[in-house]
Amino acid sequence: MNKQTPLIQIKNLDLHFGAFHALKNVSVDFHAGELVGLVGDNGAGKTTLIRVLCGIHTPSAGEVYFDGTRVKTFHPKLAIDQGIETIQQSVGLCDNLSIARNFYLGREPVKRFCGLPLLDFAKMREMSGRVIRQFGLRENVSVDDEVERLSGGERQSVKIGRAVEFKNRVVIMDEPTNHLSVREREHVNELALQLRDQGLLVIYITHDIFQVHRLADRIVIMENGEKIEDASTETMSAEALEEVIRQGGRIVEKRDAV
Amino acid sequence: MLKSEIKRLVRRHTEIGILVISLCLVLLFTLTSEGRWANAYNIGTILQVTATLGLMTLGVALVIGTGEIDISVGSTFGIGALIYLWFAVRIDPVFAALLAIGAGALIGAFNGILVTRTKTPSLIITLGSLMIFRGLAIALTDGFSFSVPYKERDGFSYSVLGGTEFLGINTGFYWLVAGLAVLLIALKMTPWGNRLLAVGGSAASAHSRGVRVERIKLSAFIVCGVLAAFAGTLEASKLGFADGSMGRLMELQAIAACVLGGCVLAGGRISLPGAVLGAFVLSSVQSYLVVTGVRPQWFIFLLGLIVVFAALGDRTLRRWSLKN
Repeated sequence: MNKQTPLIQIKNLDLHFGAFHALKNVSVDFHAGELVGLVGDNGAGKTTLIRVLCGIHTPSAGEVYFDGTRVKTFHPKLAIDQGIETIQQSVGLCDNLSIARNFYLGREPVKRFCGLPLLDFAKMREMSGRVIRQFGLRENVSVDDEVERLSGGERQSVKIGRAVEFKNRVVIMDEPTNHLSVREREHVNELALQLRDQGLLVIYITHDIFQVHRLADRIVIMENGEKIEDASTETMSAEALEEVIRQGGRIVEKRDAV
Repeated sequence: MLKSEIKRLVRRHTEIGILVISLCLVLLFTLTSEGRWANAYNIGTILQVTATLGLMTLGVALVIGTGEIDISVGSTFGIGALIYLWFAVRIDPVFAALLAIGAGALIGAFNGILVTRTKTPSLIITLGSLMIFRGLAIALTDGFSFSVPYKERDGFSYSVLGGTEFLGINTGFYWLVAGLAVLLIALKMTPWGNRLLAVGGSAASAHSRGVRVERIKLSAFIVCGVLAAFAGTLEASKLGFADGSMGRLMELQAIAACVLGGCVLAGGRISLPGAVLGAFVLSSVQSYLVVTGVRPQWFIFLLGLIVVFAALGDRTLRRWSLKN
């Protein structure tokens, strides 16, 4: 396996939401240039884990290292500045803003006019339009139209386009192919592989073990806030991994006991 | 083709509704008041009232844009007026105005910090500060009013701050135009404006993109406090006196003007020109009641009716524009 320093290292991570124990002693490493499938049922803790990585949640205990340096403050702005881009299911787009404005939200390009930072609309329109059209934005939709008018697939296109455009080191995809047509889905999967081949770390979250097994180098399975499996796709088949999910970790405990 | 273009126009410019209402009302008032409404003097008065109410409305609109609300602006207006007049007779009015604005910024920061740090609904916090600062104003003035002697009202600084007229219109109106222009640029053309509307549209999404949601909300509350106190300064300058009840119920008018102007109370969709037009409509209605001899007590009643119908009309128009 990869011997270099992990790009992201998580050690004994715990997260509580009041009385609810959302993440339990999770330890996992992620390396640059690998595509990791993060799999588990609803409520397994996959999304919570990546929300820690992208700075939305601050862990209750444990350590997170990015590129060998311990992360002390958790905020989405810091994560984005470090090059961690997340494509999330439910958040990421503001319906009331145009496509171009959403595309650049939080990192708007500016042109100085008498010292005033004014939005560089020409760049925002040109770049966002060019990138998102590759991912299936209809020709009759203008980048000045509000996101509210877009279909589920087109909304995803905006998020994926944004993740591709900015030079990132980590791209986290949370159920990226939901609401997408078959062709769009294939396109997104190809893109995830391209990003990996460019040396980025891609964390791909899904329910569909068979879909991600074809793409991933490694699969991490979670259940009830715990990591129950971390295996290379070369050594474990999709069927075996599916069995782990079905058995809910018991199969791993049995194997480890032996 | 034409219909879809109109729909696109309505979607992008929420102020279209209020523009149509304004034009209809101007026409109606002109035709039914036998020249008593549409004359230079009366229009000048309407624009002066629009100036102070409009500046206050601009601030409230920004706060509404972030998905919060500030109902304490009436008290901030009063505090601004009192501080200005107290100092205007002692130091240069420009410095007096700066002190009033500073007080407005502090009240805005007080509201903003409480709302963002405690996550308490802004309606509750600003209801509290509405009463706190109104109470302070009444208690500290102890039933008396502050005034500026007539002979001191013609200095340049005093005149520029709403104390006199320029080209037949109170100087306060020029401040409104300047304020609208500056805020419009800030809202539509800067990263701050983009983030402010994003926070109102979806605070969670804005946060996930790295936007400092609390800071944006705080900045909107501070700008709102500054504008309300400055509006109070202009009003005090125009009248030459102020007492503890100045600005009472103006918060309702400011919110009503925002709603009329196409600002959605849920946040994320506001129109600054629309909000100013809303203030103009309210000032015009008030003036129409006066010149036609209707008792001014009916104003609040009419205000309510206008707000309800405008909100319903705006909703219908928006739904229509979103239909494919």
